[in-house]
Amino acid sequence: METVERLKSEFSSSLTSLPSTNANETLLLLSENEALKKLVKSISTEFDILFTLLVVDRPPEAFELNYVFSRYRDSALLTIRVNLNHDKPVIDSIAKILPSAEWEEREAYDLFGIKFRGHPDLRRILLQDDWPGRPLRKDFVVTDEIRNWTGLDLKF
Amino acid sequence: MINEEPNADEFSYPGLGEVMFMKAENFINSVLSWGRSRSLWPLTFGTKCCAMEMIPFGATKVDADRTGTLFVGDSPRQADLILCSGTISKKMVRRLLSAYEQMASPKYVIAVGACNISGGLFHDSYNSIEGIDRIIPVDVYIPGCPPRPEMFMDAVLALQKLIRENKEQGH
Ligand code: SF4
Repeated sequence: METVERLKSEFSSSLTSLPSTNANETLLLLSENEALKKLVKSISTEFDILFTLLVVDRPPEAFELNYVFSRYRDSALLTIRVNLNHDKPVIDSIAKILPSAEWEEREAYDLFGIKFRGHPDLRRILLQDDWPGRPLRKDFVVTDEIRNWTGLDLKF
Repeated sequence: MINEEPNADEFSYPGLGEVMFMKAENFINSVLSWGRSRSLWPLTFGTKCCAMEMIPFGATKVDADRTGTLFVGDSPRQADLILCSGTISKKMVRRLLSAYEQMASPKYVIAVGACNISGGLFHDSYNSIEGIDRIIPVDVYIPGCPPRPEMFMDAVLALQKLIRENKEQGH
């Protein structure tokens, strides 16, 4: 894909190709988290939508973020993989560049507690605002307290 | 059998002889509960697949209307009965309670399906309520995943019977 050639020449030191199981997809690993915004800006000239944002919890080292971009022209997929520090998962938001990222980032924030710097409206999207904990993290345990939690003061 | 004709005496007012020796209060109560049992307007609070079975419950073959269970308005303010089905997530609890609180008393609750009664498929999940009887008082349960429309009819008939016999006062 010529986009990949272009990106590689632009971000030579921080981008590495990884093998992908899907013939339609190109997988790139970005080692420099600060460059994400610049990279996405460069990608967004060709790829119109953020298809999905996948988060994998790999304790104790990292949260792995997979940004999957797509385009209407030929449905090609381009995945950018970023690793975040597990203790301090913070990364720049790309919601201002690709609006479809806004809810994806809110979801990652909701279920994994990843903070997106510069997100216009970083709130929980699926769970109640005062919900205790981040349920999809590997270290999350469903205790009786969580099971019976409603956030309401119910007495009968 | 569910599709049986209801007994003739279920339709009748108390007989004249009984009325003459009845306390006025009891007479009023029996007329009221007869009236209530025959006009249970349901609020369909369906959050998942069980709600699909509510559609044939109201449609021709089972025909909820012939028991006075009319699907009119579907607004909590005009409902006596809440047909609550599907998983109730922790976010949904507040919406369920606000719908329940808007209904006029006496109000009745039918819990529909495994998810609603005990959590069902989503038992032991971090975000579902394991049984709405933890939140609101339930009068009749309909087990099943999903229950057949005939079972809805059975539950409504059972609830009507309880109301007529003054066993169920509503809340
Ligand atoms: S009990 Fe079964 S049919 Fe009913 S809502 Fe749950 S999963 Fe769906």
